[in-house]
Amino acid sequence: MSETVILVVEDEATISNFICRALVSAGYKTLTAPTGREGLTLFFSHRPGLVLLDLGLPDMDGLEVLEQIRSGPEEETAVIILTARDRESEKVKALDMGADDYIVKPFGVAEVLARIRTCLRHAQRLRSAEGERRERYEIGDLILDTASHQVFAAGREVHLTQNEFKILELLCLHPGKVLTYDFIMRRVWGPYSGGGNQILRVNMANIRRKLGENPSEPKYILTELGVGYRLLEES
Amino acid sequence: MKKGLCRLRSAVPSVAWDMAVAVVLLALASLGCWLLLQHTGAENNSALVYVLAVVLIARYTSGYGYAVAAALVAGFCTNYYFMYPYAQFSLELTGYPVAMLSMVAISLVVCTLTAQLKIQAEEAVRREKNTRTLYELSERLGREKTAIQLEKDREAIRSSILRGVSHDLRTPLTGISGAAAVLLEGEGLSERDRSLATDIKNDADALITMVENLLSVTRLQAGDTAIRKEPELLEEVAGDAVMRFRRRFPEARVELILPEEPVSAPMDALLIRQVISNLLENAARHSGAPETIRLTISRQGELAVTEVTDGGRGLTEEVLAAVAQGRDLAASAGGDSSRGMGIGLAVCRNIVLAHGGTMEAENRPGGGAVFRFALPAEEMEASE
Repeated sequence: MSETVILVVEDEATISNFICRALVSAGYKTLTAPTGREGLTLFFSHRPGLVLLDLGLPDMDGLEVLEQIRSGPEEETAVIILTARDRESEKVKALDMGADDYIVKPFGVAEVLARIRTCLRHAQRLRSAEGERRERYEIGDLILDTASHQVFAAGREVHLTQNEFKILELLCLHPGKVLTYDFIMRRVWGPYSGGGNQILRVNMANIRRKLGENPSEPKYILTELGVGYRLLEES
Repeated sequence: MKKGLCRLRSAVPSVAWDMAVAVVLLALASLGCWLLLQHTGAENNSALVYVLAVVLIARYTSGYGYAVAAALVAGFCTNYYFMYPYAQFSLELTGYPVAMLSMVAISLVVCTLTAQLKIQAEEAVRREKNTRTLYELSERLGREKTAIQLEKDREAIRSSILRGVSHDLRTPLTGISGAAAVLLEGEGLSERDRSLATDIKNDADALITMVENLLSVTRLQAGDTAIRKEPELLEEVAGDAVMRFRRRFPEARVELILPEEPVSAPMDALLIRQVISNLLENAARHSGAPETIRLTISRQGELAVTEVTDGGRGLTEEVLAAVAQGRDLAASAGGDSSRGMGIGLAVCRNIVLAHGGTMEAENRPGGGAVFRFALPAEEMEASE
């Protein structure tokens, strides 16, 4: 873990300063860039393991930086977006463009570190090809068996409908990652599923009730307001 | 004279006026012819005089009718009174029929042409009037548009300044809170430094909440279009608010109680989350019993209802009255204990009102306070 280099692209010195200190004391190496251009230069010369990217940069749009990072050969590098609160569409866009996660300003140190850990684990799993479809997923005490079409939560069998099962399976396929409403809608209901995602919300509410889950104390599924859902991993 | 005629004309009904014009002109023509007859005898030009009268009648009456009638009368009169044999209608003398018919024909053609000219002239006048009206209208619209645009621009500038300030406050505050958190996580801090760093972090976090409230208000003030309402599950919004709240108030305890069937309402999720956060924070700060907070979601008829209750000391008359009357509390509330409560509640009320909802507060019979807000609920689709 101590070998992981994290590139922080953030124009506010105070913020990049406290992030870097927290990262260093957590055992990471850091690089900082106050502009998008410097960020890209450092990215291509140092090949960091993870990038924290602020979307509000002085010289270029953060999404543009993301696009250039994603167009290079370093596809598996995790990118976490730092963004302001009232920009749902920006978050969704960044996720669609290949960002692994996002953190909303104002954020705390603990949150940043937790997200980084999840992302790095994700990236490692991706490299070891564990992220592919499997017959059985075990995430915490949630077990999903695609062969027998069974779901167990805390040792108790849970009966889900076809679509509820598909949603949960999709989330299990990407543990720890935010899946946008659109992404889930397309994968479960098909590309012509229409505009609204109300049906997904209702299904999710039913899944929660069947899993015995309260959204204020999520054990399995986390709501990302206005963006989508995320399956929680133990961290 | 002309003015007088015009005034007279507008006073008299148009049929009577036209009739009068025709009769008077024909009478004048007849008088003229009679005078001519005294001087010239049989070789008079009474036909031409009558043609002139017919042309004038065509000009000064509406439509063809009067002129055509006048032409026939004139033809008859010429023949009857002013041609040999006098006072007798005759078509027997050579040339008389041709003269008669030509006269009538000329009169008819001329009056048709005149009538057409008149219609065209009237059309031109009308068009000009329309054009002028349109021009004036567009000028006035332009002026009003400029005024509206100015007002809009002013409003936009005001809220963009406020938003800019809020954003600029948020970034350094994030830095302060983050730096304090890094200090707190480190080892080797003395008890005194640890308590100071905790104060820095807590106050920075409280200021961040304040800035969030300011941002919400600017979003509301930017006009109705700024609120993008989408159907959201109330439990997801509430769950998110509670999770955030726990991070900031780890010592408080909140229980989220869900209805059997999920409740959905069209809303701006971030603004409603702000309402719930503010109510939870009020309960944690001011109830004196932050470990007894309950957040309940229910559906009551057409309403999606969210309730925050606590088992604390209850609300003062002042707070109850302010919420009931929709007054702002900030100015009236005294004492340090309610610092920030007024702003939070005002923001809540504005957000709920902007969603077409209602908010109320009361003391529970068993002790403690209830804040309740209701939004118009959305019908849920079938789940498959």
